[in-house]
Parts: sequence; C-alpha cells; structure tokens
Amino acid sequence: MMIFTALADPTRFRIVEMLALNGRMPASQISQKFTTSAPAISQHLKVLKEAHLVSVEINAQQRIYRLNPEGIAEIEYWIAKLRQIWERKFDALDAHLKQELKKTQTSSKERKK
Amino acid sequence: MIQNHKTISTRPSDRELIISRIFDAPRALLWSAWTDPAQLAQWFGPDGFSITTHHMSVKPKGQWRFIMHGPDGRDYKNRIDFIEVKEPERLVYTHSGEEEDQDVEFQTITTFESLDSNTTRLTMLSLFKTAADLKFVVENYGAEEGGKQTIGRLAEHLEKIRA
Repeated sequence: MMIFTALADPTRFRIVEMLALNGRMPASQISQKFTTSAPAISQHLKVLKEAHLVSVEINAQQRIYRLNPEGIAEIEYWIAKLRQIWERKFDALDAHLKQELKKTQTSSKERKK
Repeated sequence: MIQNHKTISTRPSDRELIISRIFDAPRALLWSAWTDPAQLAQWFGPDGFSITTHHMSVKPKGQWRFIMHGPDGRDYKNRIDFIEVKEPERLVYTHSGEEEDQDVEFQTITTFESLDSNTTRLTMLSLFKTAADLKFVVENYGAEEGGKQTIGRLAEHLEKIRA
C-alpha cells in the first residue's frame, strides 16, 4: 500500500494524528477511540504499517504502535525538494521575463526614434 | 531596486502541493515563456543543466519531450503529456519519464491569472498518488541540487537584472 493512499482514509489519518500526539499507543487503546470494530481498526493499522507510516513492537500480549519517522520523513523530504525546485525555476523564469520585457521596451524605443 | 516576489506554497492535503508566485509581466508573456521551447530553454533547466526539446505540441493529447543534460554528463529524459490547454490561462499535464510503460501518476494544474496588465499570478497545483511518484518527478526534472545553489542562482539573476 502506498503512503498517500494509506493516508487518504480519514480513520487512518486520525490514527496517524493520534500517534503523533500521544507517542506510543497499544492497539487496544487506539480501537477504543473509534466506534469501528477492533478487527477493522487492526486492518487500518496493518495498512499504515505496510506504508511505513507506523511501526509496531510486541510487548507481552500488547501490540504497541508508534509513528515510523522514516515514512513521514520521506514525504516531507520529497515535498521540500519539489518546492525548492520550483522556487529555483521561478527565479530563473523571473529573470527571463525581465529580459524579455527589456527587449520589447528597447525595440519600441527604437521604433520611436 | 528590483525585488523578486516570494514563492508561496501550501499543502491542501497530504498528496497535494500548491506553489504560487507573482511575476511582473503580462500574462501573454508568461504563457509564451511556458509554451515556447526557445524560451523554456532559458529558464526551465536546473542550475548547470541545458535542455534539448525534441518535440513540443501544446494542445490536448500533445506532448513535450525533452532531455535535460546534467553538468556531470548525465541525461534525464522527460515527457510531459498535455491534458488541457486553455490559452492563456490554464495548462494541465502529467509528467513521466520516456518509457511508455512507466506507471507514474503526477498531474499538475498550472493557472495564469492576470492581476493587472503587467502582473500575473502563476499557481501550480501538483497532485501525486504516491511518495514514489513524487520522488520520481523530483529526481527526474529537478535533479539533485543543494540549497546553496538556490541562493547562488538568485544572486546571479539579480546581477543580470541590475546590469
């Protein structure tokens, strides 16, 4: 399951938010926050785990979930990169437009002479 | 003193990115800078890269195929497929590599909004399905560059403008 598809679901998105807020949470505690059945929540957790958005550790009878910084960081990293690329392209475009404008201004001045 | 406008970005959802910027130029000029290969060669390539356009047809179902030549001698093939073309205000396209079977879904809606006769707001909404698609696009048409170069390039442009 891909990362964005994983997050596109509102329940899964809320789980991610809850984990961001609370740090570690046992599966049972996560289920309690929803009216959805426990197996359904556990299915959502599985999807999030496969997308590397959460990780799980097993402690006695409990499955304890937390955010997987790797998955979260990956999106942020590529978004920041994309933003950087466009900022740079826009600076170049700005310079190009200014030159184009200068050209048209010069040619209209020359016409006036 | 000439100042560049700021690039503004927002995240309406986890898989969307909006980037916008105001340019002190008429909308028609901005449109031609985006759709004329000779003009694209002047600004579209990342720092140190040059662009060769092999084919460009700005119309629905048309394509722009180009190669970015990196400073290290590496070539990056790029393909843009136009979905919607509404001159001079809207361009919708998907971005992928040259291979036909590549399953990258990355769509961009670019709008050119005339604020007055000499000011245009450009807004790009990028939609991506997966982090892998995002990564692909960044690696392919942005190539890898450090933030240091951003500042270097900006300074260079300011010099050019002042000259």
